[in-house]
Order: sequence, then structure tokens, then C-alpha cells
Amino acid sequence: MVLGSYKTAICARAADPGILAKSQDGGIVTQLFAFALEEGIIDGAVVAGPGDEPFKPEPIVATTVAELLEARGTRYTICPNMSMIKEATRTYGLDKVGIVGTPCQIQALRKAQLYPMGMRSVPDKIALAVGIFCMENFPYQGLETMVEDLCNVKMESAVKMDIGKGKFSVYTERGAVSQIPLKLTHKFEQGGCHVCLDYVANLADVSTGSVGTPDGWSTVFVRTKVGEDVWGRAIGAGYFETKDIADVKPGLDLVTKLANEKISKNQKTLEERATFGVNKGLRNPYL
Amino acid sequence: MGLLSYLKEIFTGKQDAPEAPVAPAAPAAPTKVEVPQPAEAKPAQTPADVKVEQKPEETKMEELPVADKITIGHVHMSGCTGCLVSLADNYEGLFALLDNYADLVYCLTLADVRDIPKMDVALVEGSVCINDHHSVEDIKKARENATIVVALGACAAYGNVTRFARGGQWNQPQHESYLPIGDLIDVDLYLPACPPSKESIRNVAVMAYLLLKGTDEQKELAAAYLKPLMDLAARGVEACGCDLMVDVINQGLCMGCGTCVAACPVRAIDMVYGKPNIDREMCIKCGVCYAQCPRSFFNFDVINQFEAIGEAIDAAMGKGGE
Amino acid sequence: MAKVVEISPTTRHEGHTKITMQVNDAGIVERGDWLSLTPVRGIEKLAIGKSMHQAPKISSRVCGICPIAHTLAGIEAMEASIGCYIPDDAYLLRVILQCANRLHSHALHNILSLPDMYLPGTDTHINPFTSEEPVRSVALRIQKLREIGQTVGEIVGGEPIHPSNPRVGGMYKNITPRAKSKLYDLAKEALPLARDHMEFMIAVFKDWDARPMASVANGKEVEKTEKFGFHDQGYMAVDPLYGSSSLDIEPRWFPERWTEVRPWDWYQGELEVSLEDAEYPIGGTTPVGTKVWPAMEACTGVPLYDGSPVEVGPRARLAMFRNYDRKGAMGLQIARQMEYMDCLYSMIEAIDAVDCSGSVLADEIPQGDGSLGWAANEAPRGTDVHLAKVKDGRVDWYSLLVPTTWNFPTVSRALEGAPWQLTEVIMRAYDPCVSCATHMMVVDDSKRVVAQKMFQ
Repeated sequence: MVLGSYKTAICARAADPGILAKSQDGGIVTQLFAFALEEGIIDGAVVAGPGDEPFKPEPIVATTVAELLEARGTRYTICPNMSMIKEATRTYGLDKVGIVGTPCQIQALRKAQLYPMGMRSVPDKIALAVGIFCMENFPYQGLETMVEDLCNVKMESAVKMDIGKGKFSVYTERGAVSQIPLKLTHKFEQGGCHVCLDYVANLADVSTGSVGTPDGWSTVFVRTKVGEDVWGRAIGAGYFETKDIADVKPGLDLVTKLANEKISKNQKTLEERATFGVNKGLRNPYL
Repeated sequence: MGLLSYLKEIFTGKQDAPEAPVAPAAPAAPTKVEVPQPAEAKPAQTPADVKVEQKPEETKMEELPVADKITIGHVHMSGCTGCLVSLADNYEGLFALLDNYADLVYCLTLADVRDIPKMDVALVEGSVCINDHHSVEDIKKARENATIVVALGACAAYGNVTRFARGGQWNQPQHESYLPIGDLIDVDLYLPACPPSKESIRNVAVMAYLLLKGTDEQKELAAAYLKPLMDLAARGVEACGCDLMVDVINQGLCMGCGTCVAACPVRAIDMVYGKPNIDREMCIKCGVCYAQCPRSFFNFDVINQFEAIGEAIDAAMGKGGE
Repeated sequence: MAKVVEISPTTRHEGHTKITMQVNDAGIVERGDWLSLTPVRGIEKLAIGKSMHQAPKISSRVCGICPIAHTLAGIEAMEASIGCYIPDDAYLLRVILQCANRLHSHALHNILSLPDMYLPGTDTHINPFTSEEPVRSVALRIQKLREIGQTVGEIVGGEPIHPSNPRVGGMYKNITPRAKSKLYDLAKEALPLARDHMEFMIAVFKDWDARPMASVANGKEVEKTEKFGFHDQGYMAVDPLYGSSSLDIEPRWFPERWTEVRPWDWYQGELEVSLEDAEYPIGGTTPVGTKVWPAMEACTGVPLYDGSPVEVGPRARLAMFRNYDRKGAMGLQIARQMEYMDCLYSMIEAIDAVDCSGSVLADEIPQGDGSLGWAANEAPRGTDVHLAKVKDGRVDWYSLLVPTTWNFPTVSRALEGAPWQLTEVIMRAYDPCVSCATHMMVVDDSKRVVAQKMFQ
């Protein structure tokens, strides 16, 4: 069950070329939220909006498609989307909240729904949770070092960053691409990521990521009744182009392989943590 | 206290073999322990109203025995009644709860019973003023008379703002020492936060019902659901925003999701360089930031079933569904 | 000779109190004391040395039923001390919160009052938790009104129980236009419900008033007395809806008129219980032979205004600003119901007036030089006065004169002349919130000295 439970897996991309233009891969998150907004399935979504510095996202509550478009593209650093989950239901006045998050953020969301001690009136207002695949994340200073020192690109000049095929790539406005092997980035990873046992956002309604499908497309898992409903309606309305996941390369085998790698590596970390000191271990949140 | 040992059996069973549902075999005998007498227990209401109705259970949870209700009491120590208001804020759900699952047998604020009776679940709100002998007697009596004691809210669990108390105020300047109830009695469950949300109190009430009156399968689910709250009770009586530093960031577990920011009731937390920054001059020591953190506890066996559990609770409350 | 009877603890209100009475042979109260037994958490003392931003968050937690009143009074006392004027839109958001809190609190109090009342036209007490009609519909309507009040509290205040959005200097966040229209819809939805509910509740209370015999819930019927729950004390209120502070051009509360005396000047001395009724619901009264000592046990002081106890609350507001004049316990209950509509009309006006793009935080928040500032907030159950001195951003001195503290000695007077078996009905009419009340600081018997001290 390294991919979690899901009803269907699809290869898909947004049908709207405007959305696709500046999206990371298939534009799934932006397109799905845009559809859900237009249909009234959600009345706003917590997404990673632009921050003060380049590629340093800040969580925003997007209530229009224009605001969603501002938030397109992956920034490989932490955006504390959960910090806005309550405010979205308060001064923003939302009743049906969408949220996008990494697997850990979706875990936080589900815990907040089942054990909502400090989350009054949040649990039943979550209308659509979209998860994104995540191997690990980088603190902003780590990302800055990778981009500016290792890739020799000024953060301001970067237009897109990407991880794939064993490389971390930075694309500039002038079309240059700078790449480093992924292994150089490991030391900059956030420590808290190394105990994470979820690669493909197992607890989301819909989760998506680039792994498993060709460039410009995304792998999509539809997991819950809510996810099935929204996805079905979006497909029906022609918001996505799809292909059978069995027909694309590299397909779910690669997703499974990477998920296994992440989980077994981090299981090992958890084991090491248990005997980290001398007759003393580090805390395990899953026990 | 028979129930507690039963619970522990379930949990130790689970730890040994996480995948296999071991529990149902063990409990048979202890479950019947200490079911209080419902007739005597419901004096606040006229007999005509005592209707044990068929409850509209439940999609997944098969044939639920038409059990009698559990008995719940609200014991008010040095708190502000905000936790009780939070329970009442389930609005029509409050009636669903009282109609079908729980009799409120003691609650000075809502009912006329003046002495703490026997009950299944005592929801204790507030910390204990050890300079006031009435308070000390009450908390002991609550422990004696209740099968399960829940520290309802931050004052009972951690002291909350009463941690700052130091006496000196007329007409009782000697009231200077307030302790979380866990310093005086064994506490079974913690439900932290100031106040705990209406939904979390509802969930604990429903789970307590399933634990005491449900089928074996339901008992197992309820036990698994309540385990982390028992662990919180076992963890200790101190809480503070600093827990995020000490038990999450320092332990290498924080991944910067921001949940603590949303949970904090006094807006004392913001994210700085991807990690929570705690304004310790604002923190009131309610403990919710840590309890709500996905890296304080995360029980896959329960949370993986979020969809089914959510539906079951909605069905129990007579809402949602089709 | 008078006999001593005691109801302890009293029920169906916030907090822990008792009523100790001397009654004549007919069971009529000759001398009554209603006193708090809630331990004194000492909020005013523990606030000293804390930051001015944290202190109101702590004082919010004196009460979970009217936390909005305490938050606003606390924050505005700090603002009054440091001389901080907040933007209009922040003020409007606070007014919306005030209305929301009153709506929820009054509705909650209905649940606590109804068990003593009768379904009009019957001799059946109303159990608000029964699933039978017509009571269930009334109970659901109460919960709906509470839901609307608390939801408005959530949106504007962040949380309805201990609001997080208000802060010294204004509010953390303004509302969005979407939130504004949601608030408007909620208030509109509540209007017809509140009107029906007000009329129902007034009919219920008038019905009780007109009965020759009555009982508390499940109690023995006794003959009611004329002038049930009357007292001759005056009223104190600073505003029909919101409040007043020392920053006002014309403040409507006067610290120099306030005096605080110790309970042993006011309450009865040592007594021995000599009358007992094991049937009094539920669990009986205090056993004969028990020694009691109200003056020693009371957990509050006795605040006076112009040297006398005063009544605060809905009737005080209506009496001072609307010439309302119905006396007695039911007169107060009816006044409370008459406030429902204004909660909503005022809420709607304030919502209309909010500019969602306006700033809600003062440009400058001074740190304070130790001057006295006070704010009086008209909480659901009466005037809630907070006084503070802030110096360099820290609380130097803090005092809370909360509604139920004002009402304790007044209620004690109102018990006189009533059958002891019905005294809880009088007490409950005041919607006591006792955890709040137990935070008094006794200063000095001479108000001159108090006034001088405060203005130093």
C-alpha cells in the first residue's frame, strides 16, 4: 500500500493552455481548483502564493481563478499552508475550503479533522484536499544555496525549478538550464522530512505529481468519494485531457519504486532514531 | 477502573501485532463492570422524557446493539465554563448526543443534581485550587465515581492560565495554588485546547459511547481512536508553546506545515524560516499547538480511516450522508 | 425565631455559589445572602507584570460564556491607559462581536431558566432537553440563535469562545467582502427567529409571574409572594449596547463613585443550619447542624456605586435608556428577551458600515506611562468594568469589576420577602456568571481614598 488506497490512477493534463503555460507539469492542481471554484464545489482554496522573495511562497486564500494562476508552479521550499486553514473559515468567510499540500500537510489536515482540538468549525468545511507527491523538502536557505551557489543562478533570474531523472534543474528567463546531480542536494533537505512515510499524499482526495508520466503530463490518484465526484465532474466538463496510465511510460512502476525507496529509507531513519543515543532514542510520532 | 485495564489490554495487544485486530477476544469479562444505574442517574429530567430511542446508526458499523446510553457528567473546577459552552455549541448535535447516546447526569450549569453521582464519563473542566478543600474533595469524588475521567480543556489538563496564579486577591488571598487534575488523580484522557473545539468533544463522547456500548469492532475502533489522548494524559501535566521547540523541532521532527499557527488560540505563533516561532509573552500554556501537531502523535491505524470515521460520526449525529 | 436554611451549591448558572437564608415560620426569607464559593484565581494579580497584549487574553478566560465582553473590556482598558485610539472599522468589528456574544448568551440563559417555567396553559415544567414538542422546537430555535451568534463570533473574532482577533490597537484582521455578506445573511436569518423567540419567552415569563403557586423544577409548589424578587436598589448601565471608556469625550462611568467593601461588613456572620429539606431538588438542602459563615466564605468583595449596591444587566440598561420599569425577577427576565432584537438590528447596522478595505490596526500603539485607563463594557449580564495601568507595555495594575460581582449584594436584597424554595428562581434571573465575578480586588472602604489612589 505504498501508494495508499485509490479508486483510479490516471495520466492527465489541464485542457486549458493558459493554465498549462506556467504550470509545473500537467497543471492539475490549478485546473482542478479552477473547476471547483467555478462549480461552487469550493469557495476558495489555500494555495502557495507568491511571497516577498523569489521562489519563497506564502500561503494565500485564493477565491478567484486569477489568484490561483498566481500560485502556479512548484517551489521546492516550505509553504505552511495549514497555517491558513482556520483563517480561511474566519475572516475570509469560506464554507467550502480547498487546500493543496504535501503529504505531511495532508496528514496534518486529516488529523485536524479527526482530532480537531484547536480547529473549531474547520473539519466539516474541508471540501477538497489536493495532495502533491513529495520526496523531501528544502528550507529556503537550502534552496537558495542550491540555486545560487551550486547552480550559479541568481534566484531572481530563475523562472522554474524541477527535480527529475536524478537531477535538480533551474531554468532561467533567458532559456539557460543549470543542473546539478540530486545527490548534491541531500544535505540541504529538511530533517523533519526524513521520518515521513508518505510519498504520494495517501490521505488526499486527489493527489498528483509528475513522476510516472511523460513531460507535460501528471500522474493523478483519485482516492476518496469527494475526489471521485469532483474528478468525474471535471472530466465530464472537459477540463482535463487524459490517457490510460497503463499506456504511458514510465508508468506507476516508477511511482511505486520511488515510494518504496522513500518509505524504506525513512523507516530506517526511524529505526536509527530509536537507538540514537546511548540507551536513549529520539521520539517517534507514530507510536 | 475495570475498564481501564481492559483498555490497556487492547492497546498492549495492538502494539504486539499492529496489523492484526487482536482485541475482541480479550475484553469480554471486564466490559460489564460498573455500568451505573441509569434510572437513578437521570434525575434532572422527568420520567416521561426518558426515551431510549433507536439510534440512526450507522453506515459501516453494522448491527449496533440497541444499548442503553452512557452517563456523562460535567465537573466544574476552576475553569471558565468555556469548555461546556463548546460542548453546547454542537447545536442540534447536542440533542442528538443526549437523545441517543449519553445522559447528562451531573452538570451544575445545566441541571439540578447537586452532588457528584456515579457516572461512566466525567468531563472535568478547570484546575484544582488546593487551598480550597471543597475543590479537592470534588475532584477526588469525581475520580471515585467515574469510570473514565477526561481532562476537558487546558485548565484541567495543563493548568492553562491558572498556571500564572499566585494568590493575593481578596476575598480569598490564600487561593494561590492551582494544579492540573492529573497532579491529584489518575486521568484517563486529555482533551487539550482552550477551549477544545465542539467537534473534538463530540468525537470523544461518541467514541466513549462506542467503547462502552458498542460491538467488539466498534470498541476496537474507539479504543484506537482514544489511545493518543490517553498517551497525552500519560505524558504529563506541563504544556507550553515551548513543547514545539523541545518535542518537535529539537527532536528533528518539524516539517513546517503550519498547523500550530492555526491552532493557537492567542495567535502567539508565526512561521519564521519554515518553523514555528513562539511569542512566549503571549502563550497561555494551553498545550493545543503540540497536541494538534501532526508530529506529536500520528496514528495511521485511525487516521487512514478518516473517511469512514467521519461518515460514521456524521451518521451518528444524524447529519450528512445521503 | 428565624430558622437558617441553605441551598448549596446552587445550580443552572455558571460557577459555584450558595444561598444562605434566615427564614420565618412561613418560610419567607428575612435575610438572605447569595455568595460565590468559586475559588479566586486572582486574574488581576496574576496579570501584573504581563505584557499588555497578553493580559486581556488572560482576562477573557475568566468566563467562557461572555469571553467577548471580557476581551473587549480588557483590551479597551489597556488602550485607555496607553491612550490608543483604534480605527473606525476595528470599532465596528468589535460592535458586531458584542452583538453576537449577547445573542448567544441570552439564548443560552433561556435553557437555564426554562426548567423553572411552565408551558403556558399547563402545569408542566419545561425540560429543554426533552425530545417532545413543542419544547424541542423551542430548544432547536435557541440553539439556532446561539449558532448564529457563535458563528458571527467565529468569523469576526476568530473564535467565539475566547476571541483571538481583537488586540490592543484594534483587530488583527479585517473581514473580506465574502465574510461580510455571510455575516449579513446570518443576521437576517436570525431576525424572524429572534422575534418569535422573544415573544414566546416573554409569554412564558409572564405566565409564571401571574401564577399564585409555583415551584422550581421538580420541586414542591409553594405560594408565591407579592413583589417576588423586588429590591429597592438602583441601576447602573453605561450604554444600551456597547460601552464607554475613559477615552470618551463624555465618559458614562465614574470611578470616583465606585467603592469596594469587604464581605464581612456585608454578609452574615457565623450561623448554624436549623432547617433542612431533603426533598429539595435534587439532593436536598444543607443538613441541620452544619456551621456556615457567609462573611468568611464569600469569594468576592462587595462593590458599591454611590455607596449602595446596584443592579446591572438587561433591566438596568432598559431602565436607564428606555424607561423600562417592570420590577421583580420576571421583570428582569422579560427585559433580557427585549434585548434580542437590538442585538440583530445593531449587528446589521455595524456590518453595513464596515469597510472591508479599511485598516483595523492603529498606526501607533503607545507603550503607556502608567496612567489609569478604564473601559466599561455592557456584557450580556451587565456592566463589566476593567481598569488598568500600563507602563512600558506591561501591566502595572489591573482590576475587574464584573457584572455578577455588582449583582451579588443586589440579589441578596431581592431574596427578601420570597419563599425560600423559590430563591433560586430569583438568583437565576440575574444570569449569574460567577467565575467572572470572583476576581475582585478590595481596595478601601473610603471612596475618597480610592479615587485619590487611582488618579495618582
